[in-house]
Amino acid sequence: MSPDACVRTRSENPSPKLTPQVPSLCAMERALPTQQKDAEATGELNGLFDAMMRKPGGRPGQAPPAQTPAESTPQPTSSSSSCSVTESWREDRTRSVEDNEMSLPSLATAYTSILRGLGEDPLRQGLLKTPRRAATAMQFFTKGYQEKIIDVMNDAIFDEDHDEMVIVKDIDMFSMCEHHLVPIFGRVHIGYLPDKRVLGLSKLARIVEIYSRRLQVQERLTKQIAVAITEALKPAGVGVVIEATHMCMVMRGVQKMNSKTVTSTMLGVFREDPKTRDEFLTLIRG
Amino acid sequence: MNGHCNGKISNTVEDYNRNEKKCFGDLAVEMKKSAVICEQEFSRKKTEDESRLPAIEAAYSIILRELGEDTDRQGLLRTPLRAAKAMQFLTKGYHENVNDILNDAIFDEDHDEMVIVKDIDMFSLCEHHLVPFFGKVHIGYLPNQKVVGLSKLARIVEIFSRRLQVQERLTKQIATAVSEALQPKGVAVVIEAAHMCMVMRGVQKINTRTVTSTMLGLCREDPKTREEFLSLTMR
Repeated sequence: MSPDACVRTRSENPSPKLTPQVPSLCAMERALPTQQKDAEATGELNGLFDAMMRKPGGRPGQAPPAQTPAESTPQPTSSSSSCSVTESWREDRTRSVEDNEMSLPSLATAYTSILRGLGEDPLRQGLLKTPRRAATAMQFFTKGYQEKIIDVMNDAIFDEDHDEMVIVKDIDMFSMCEHHLVPIFGRVHIGYLPDKRVLGLSKLARIVEIYSRRLQVQERLTKQIAVAITEALKPAGVGVVIEATHMCMVMRGVQKMNSKTVTSTMLGVFREDPKTRDEFLTLIRG
Repeated sequence: MNGHCNGKISNTVEDYNRNEKKCFGDLAVEMKKSAVICEQEFSRKKTEDESRLPAIEAAYSIILRELGEDTDRQGLLRTPLRAAKAMQFLTKGYHENVNDILNDAIFDEDHDEMVIVKDIDMFSLCEHHLVPFFGKVHIGYLPNQKVVGLSKLARIVEIFSRRLQVQERLTKQIATAVSEALQPKGVAVVIEAAHMCMVMRGVQKINTRTVTSTMLGLCREDPKTREEFLSLTMR
């Protein structure tokens, strides 16, 4: 098995690689939405599947500002998803601390009108500072937009002659559902088969933090974490499993208290070799 | 007939009120005042929800933009509407009135032992950060010839929890509602909850739980009664 199998295969033939070829052993692994289905493209703020073409034949630009639609230059559609993945990883747009300061008043005003719209009295004692607190809280919940993977990882990659699986499991994860703006929380399990390079263990948790502290969809979050590790280390394989509770299902809607959503992304040998995958899944279960 | 105390209840209740008025009755009146004040501070009719939706939706669009997101991307296209509706659902307790749900589910029953409904799942919103807190509610009461339909206790929890809340106030409101409706000998409410404002942000302590309790009547005055309730609920 080639050490670069994971990366080379992806760049040569991105679409099939990202589509599961073997049934996932986890409850949910949704394939990449087709390019046709996601033809309405977006900014690159949260990369990956959102950085699809806005119009057929277009592709997202190199580092577009988050709030403007992506510029398009003709590119083959089949590679756009993987290109967007790598581009977004390297060129994650950052929101700055100064941006936060400047947005705070408008955010607070928006929350005040929400309170009024709900029938509450924003002037009662308990709610006096709530707009500002809620705004600051929401900025904290989306602080992943302020951080770059590259800053977190660059100096914590070490050459190590280790070719057995490395697993960091039970990483607590808190995210926000991008559909209802309600929390998602759960645990992330990450495993990878190093190819002469290992990553500082806490950096795996930091990658989880960066991608989870955003408006997310669990499937995308799983894939972004896996791809970031792949890009940084070029390991023989990566496996990421997330098990989470979605408050949008628990507190509202179907209101199923005990439901959990499990998603997984397997890349490289984790995808190709059932035994490796099995070892990973057994070790995270134990 | 079936062991019911039909016809004897009113005398018993009057006797109880005369004897207990100084302690429990006064306490109940004070609770009532704060509950009334709370109820008057906010009100929302269900019919107003539709008309208020656009304003809340617009506010959420602004929030998404100010957070640096692209509101035109596929995943966020209808998010302002969904978030607005979700928020209205999470605060639907403002529509609801305890009397409306309780009035026909109070029964005369010759039962004077503690009745406990425990592990009632509760989901509420912190009024300080607009972030969920959730947990379990345990309610116990000592009937005074009147019992309430068991699910009505859970409905009372729903009414008061689906609001912008502070856990202490929520606990007290539930206890007051039960005591006003049934005039029991005692009421005990304990809530144990996890606050996402502490778990997801701020101090970020994942395993912390906040426990609040309200004890009224005999549950407050008599340690043994309180002990019985606590040992049956907090195993």
